[in-house]
Amino acid sequence: MRGIVAGREAGTALGLIVLCAGLWIATPYFATAANLTNVAEQSAIVGVIAIGMTFVILTGGIDLSVGSLVALVGVVIGSALQRGVPVIAAIALGLLAGIVTGALNGLMITRGPLPPFIATLGMMSVARGVALMLSDGRPISGFPQGLRALATSDVFGIPAPVVLMLALYLLAYLLLTRTVFGRYMYAIGGNEEATALAGVNVGLWKSVVYAISGLSAGVCAVLLVARLNSAQPIAGIGYELDAIAAVVIGGTSLLGGSGSVIGTLIGALIMSVLRNGLNLLGVSSYLQQVAIGVVIIAAVLIDMALRRRVQRSSL
Amino acid sequence: MRAQLIARRILLSTAAVLVGACNRGAEDTARPTVALVVKTLNNQFFIDMEAGAQAAADSLGLELIVQAPEREIDVERQMQIVENLIQRDVKVLMLVPNGSKEIVPAVVKANTAKIPVVVVDSRVDGATLKAAGGTVATFIGSDNEDGGRMAGAYLIERLAGSAKVAVLEGVPGHETADARLRGFRKALIGSAGMQIVASQPANMERDQAFNVTQNILQAHPDITALFACNDVMALGALEAIAAAGKGGAISIVGFDAQDDARKAITEKRMAATIAQNPREMGRLAVITSYRIIKGESVPAEQPVAISLVR
Amino acid sequence: MTTPGMFTLRMRGIRKSFPGVLALAGVDLDVRRGEVHVLLGENGAGKSTLMKILSGAVARDAGTIEIDGRASALASPREARDAGIAIIHQELALVPEMTVAENIFLGRAPTRFGLLDQPRMVREATTFLSRLGANIDPGQRVAALSIAQRQLVEIARALSLNARILIMDEPTSALTDRESQRLFATISGLTAQGTAIVYISHRLDEIFAIGDRITVLRDGRNVATQEVRSADRRDLIRLMANRDVDEVVTPIPRRHGAARLRVEGLCHGRTLHDVSFSVHSGEIVGFAGLLGAGRTEIARAIFGLEPFDQGRILVDERPLAIRSPRDAIAAGIGFVTEDRKREGLVLSRSVRDNIALPILERLARLGIVRRAEEQTTAESSVRELNIRTPSVGQLAQNLSGGNQQKIVLAKWLATGARILFLDEPTRGIDVGSKAEIYLLINELAAAGVAIVLMSSDLPEVLALSDRVLVMREGRVAGEFTRAEANAERVMACAVGV
Repeated sequence: MRGIVAGREAGTALGLIVLCAGLWIATPYFATAANLTNVAEQSAIVGVIAIGMTFVILTGGIDLSVGSLVALVGVVIGSALQRGVPVIAAIALGLLAGIVTGALNGLMITRGPLPPFIATLGMMSVARGVALMLSDGRPISGFPQGLRALATSDVFGIPAPVVLMLALYLLAYLLLTRTVFGRYMYAIGGNEEATALAGVNVGLWKSVVYAISGLSAGVCAVLLVARLNSAQPIAGIGYELDAIAAVVIGGTSLLGGSGSVIGTLIGALIMSVLRNGLNLLGVSSYLQQVAIGVVIIAAVLIDMALRRRVQRSSL
Repeated sequence: MRAQLIARRILLSTAAVLVGACNRGAEDTARPTVALVVKTLNNQFFIDMEAGAQAAADSLGLELIVQAPEREIDVERQMQIVENLIQRDVKVLMLVPNGSKEIVPAVVKANTAKIPVVVVDSRVDGATLKAAGGTVATFIGSDNEDGGRMAGAYLIERLAGSAKVAVLEGVPGHETADARLRGFRKALIGSAGMQIVASQPANMERDQAFNVTQNILQAHPDITALFACNDVMALGALEAIAAAGKGGAISIVGFDAQDDARKAITEKRMAATIAQNPREMGRLAVITSYRIIKGESVPAEQPVAISLVR
Repeated sequence: MTTPGMFTLRMRGIRKSFPGVLALAGVDLDVRRGEVHVLLGENGAGKSTLMKILSGAVARDAGTIEIDGRASALASPREARDAGIAIIHQELALVPEMTVAENIFLGRAPTRFGLLDQPRMVREATTFLSRLGANIDPGQRVAALSIAQRQLVEIARALSLNARILIMDEPTSALTDRESQRLFATISGLTAQGTAIVYISHRLDEIFAIGDRITVLRDGRNVATQEVRSADRRDLIRLMANRDVDEVVTPIPRRHGAARLRVEGLCHGRTLHDVSFSVHSGEIVGFAGLLGAGRTEIARAIFGLEPFDQGRILVDERPLAIRSPRDAIAAGIGFVTEDRKREGLVLSRSVRDNIALPILERLARLGIVRRAEEQTTAESSVRELNIRTPSVGQLAQNLSGGNQQKIVLAKWLATGARILFLDEPTRGIDVGSKAEIYLLINELAAAGVAIVLMSSDLPEVLALSDRVLVMREGRVAGEFTRAEANAERVMACAVGV
C-alpha cells in the first residue's frame, strides 16, 4: 500500500519536475531564486485551502463553500481590526468564524439529508452574502503593520506564508498517516457503511472534516488579507475549484478513500508553476486557461492509467 | 555553471518539443520588453486598449506582453501576474488596477525591483500608496467622475429635468465605477425632478445587469431613465427592458462607447454612452513607457479626453 | 438434444499471466450444444479469468478459441457478444432506475424515426421474458424487483442478444430455494433450445441437480473433466482442494454456559413481531427461514443499525440501550454482515487497517496510532485465522472471498466480541475456505463465544447449529434442537405448512 501511494505521488512529482525543467529551458527568468520564492508564495493561497479540501474529498465529500468562506473570514478580520481589536484576537475571531461555518456545513450533511454538494453550494451563497452584508459590499483596508508582516516577513529567506503552508502540510500529513483520525478519514472514504458498522461515529468525524475545511479557508483568508492589505467581500471567487483541481492533480480520488496531502501540495505547486511560467513566457491569457484545463485533465488521465496498472498487477 | 550548461543541453533535447509549442516570448530579441496588465480580457474596453498599445509598441520597436486575470474582480490573481512579470524583468509595467488599494503591495514590489509603474484608466489609491512608501510614474486616463457628470447632464436635458431613474452600479468599492456613479449623482443634485428610485450593483456584468434590471422593473415599472456604469451592463439592461416590452420608453445611458453600444445608439435603442477612448489610453501608455526607458521625464497626470456619444 | 462430438465452444491451451501471477497455465474447455457445463474450482483456480477471456473482457496471452469450428479472437466484449456469448454477472449489471424493457435493450433500443419505439420494446421484452416463463412486467423499474427477478431480466437480455453460450457465475448465491428451483427449470428450458450454459457454483447439491459435465480447475490447470452422472462428491472436493476436506465439520464437543444474550419481545414496524430468544455462551443458534422473513432485521436491530419499536435486549442478563454500532461493540457484540463488500470491509484499505478499524482507539495513545502494536495485532489475527495474504499490508480487495470473510471475522474477534452475529457467512465462498470458516465457527463456540448464525443455506444451518429457530413473516415460527432439526421439518415450518 505504502509503495503504491509513494508511486503515485512520484508520478505527480515527476510531472512537476518535467514542467520545471521545460520552463528552465524556455525562459531564463524561471529558475532564479527570486522567482522560485515568488512561485512558492503564490502557491500558499490555494495550497492552504487545498489541505482542508483534501480531507473533505478523502471522505468522499466536496466543499464548494471555501471560496466564499475566504471572503467571510477576511471581512470578519477586517471589521474586527477596524473596531480596534488587536491583530491576534481578530485573527482568532476570523478562524473561529471559519471553523463554525465549516462545522455548520458538516451538520447539514451529517444530521440532515443533504448531499455535500448541495449543502456547501448553499453555504457558498450564504457566506458570500453575509460577507457582503458585514462589509456593506466594500473592501475594508488600512490595517496595522502586525498583520501585514504575515505576508512580508520571512524565515531564513523563505517567505512567512510558505513556511506556514509547509508547516500545515506537515501537520496534515502526520494527522492522516499517524493518527486514529487519519485512519478514519480513509476508512470513511473507502466504505462509509462498513466504517459505521465498525463502531466509528462517522457523523461526528465528517463534521470535524468540514470544520477543518472551514479552518483552512480561514487561514487562507488571513494570508490573503495580509497580502492585499485589504479584506474584500468579493475575494476568493473560484478558489474552491482551484483547490479541487490541486487535490485532483495530486492524485486524490473524487470517490474518496485514496490520496494524500503530499500529492495535493505537488498539485498546488504545479498550478502555480504553470501560471507563473505562462506569465513569464508572455503567453496570451486566453491560452493560459486552456493550458491549465489541459493539465488538469491530463493529470487525472495519467492517474487513472496508473491506477488501472496497479489493479491489474494485483489481480 | 558548466554543469548547468550540460544539463540544459540534455534537457533541451527531451523537452524541446513540449516547450516549442508555447515558447512564444522569444528571448533572443534585443528589443526592450514592456508589460501591460489589464483588469480582464473579457471586456471590449481592454481589448481595444490592448490593440492601441500593440500598435504603438510595434511602431516604437518595443516587445509588449499583455496579461490579465480571468475575472475582473480577482485582485489576488492580478497581483500574482504583476509579481511574475517583475521576475520577467520587464522595463516598464503598465497597470490597470483591479483594486485601487489592494494592488498597492504589488506596486511596491515593482518599485523595489526598480520597475517604473504606469497606471492606466483606474487610479491607485493615493493615501494607501503613500503610506506603503510606493510611487507611480504617471497616471493616464479619463476623469471618470467627469464622464458620470456628463451622462447625468445629458439625461436631464433629454428628459427635460423630470424622470424616475434607475442606476446599475459596478463592483462595490472599485474606483472607476465609483467615480462614474459619484459624477452622475452630483449632476442630478441640482434638478429636483430627477429622482433616483433604484440603485443596485450588477458587478459590471451583462447577465447580472439583465437580472437586476428585470427586478427593478418589477418594483418600479414607471422608470423612464437608466444609467449603467458601463456599456456591458447597459446592454444587459437593454435586453431586459426590451423583454419587458418597454423598449424605447426608457432612456438608457451607458459608459465606455463599445461597438455594440454605438450600434444600439444608431438604432435608437440606447440613448447615449460616454466615450473613453481606451485605444488612445493604450497608445499613450506605451509611448510614455518608451519615454521612461529613454530616460525622459513624464508628467504625473495625462488626461485622455472624454466625450458623449449619442 | 446433445449431439456428441459436436462442440459449440472449444478452448485450447489458454494461457494468461498477470504481473507476478500465472492465472491460467494452458487450460482446455469444451462445451457442447445444449449442455450445462459446470466449472468447479476454489477461488483463485482461474475460473473467473477464463470466463473473462471468454466474454472478451480480458485478452489471453496464448491459446485458441473456436466457436462452431471457426477460430475466434474474442478481443473485446463486443466481439464476444457478436459471437453469441453472454455473461450473467455475480454482481448483477442492471440499471436500477430504468425499466425492465429498457434494461433488456440497454444501448440498442429499437427506434422509429429516431425516437424510442416504446411499444415495440415492451412487446419484444415480453416475448423474451415469457420464453423464460417469467412473470415480470416489462414496464416495471428494476429497483422494484427481487434479485431472482433481476437475474431473469439479465437472462432475457442475453437471449435478446441471441446468446448461444451463457455464462452464469454463482447465479443462486442470493436466491431462496424456491427461486433456485425456478432458475433450474429455466436453465433446462434453455438447454432444450440448444443454448450451452457454463455454470460456476460452489454448491455441490445444485451441480448434481442440473449439471451435465464438470470441469475442475486448480491453480490455473485442468484437473479433470467428467460426466456428472459418474462423479462423486468427495472426489470432486479432493480434486478442487487437492486434499481431503470435511465438507461439513463435525462439531467440537462443548458446554453451554450462562445466557449471554437475551432478546425479549422485539418489534419493529412490519418486519419484526415479538421476537424473543436467547443465546448462551458456547452455543450456536441458527436462524433459518425464507428470504425476507426477518433474519437480517433482527441482527440489524440488535446491532443498533435500525431502531426498534418495542422489546428489550439483555447482555449477561443486564438490560442495555443500544443506539448505535458503537454501543453494541462496547457490549461485546460483533456482526458479520451478509454483504461483505458493501458493509464488511473497506476494500481499498489494507488487511491491517481493516482488522484494526474497530479497535483503533484502543491501539492509540493521545490519538496517535501505535503502529507496532497495530501491526502485531493484525499479524497475529492473520496467523490465527489462517488468512492467506502475502502481508498484512495487502489491500483487502486483492484477497479471495474466503480470505476477505476471514478478515471480517478477525476484525470482530479483535474487538473481543463475545456475541457474534453471522449473516450468510459463507456466501460466494469456495469449498475449501467454507470448511475453514465452519471449523472456525466451531472453535469460537468452543471458546465460549455465543454465536447467532443466519443463513439461507439450510444444510449449513443444520450442520452447525445447536438449536435452529425458524423465522416466518417476522415471527419466530418454530424452534428445533439439533436432534429434532432436519431439512423437511425446518422447510415446512418456514413456508408455514
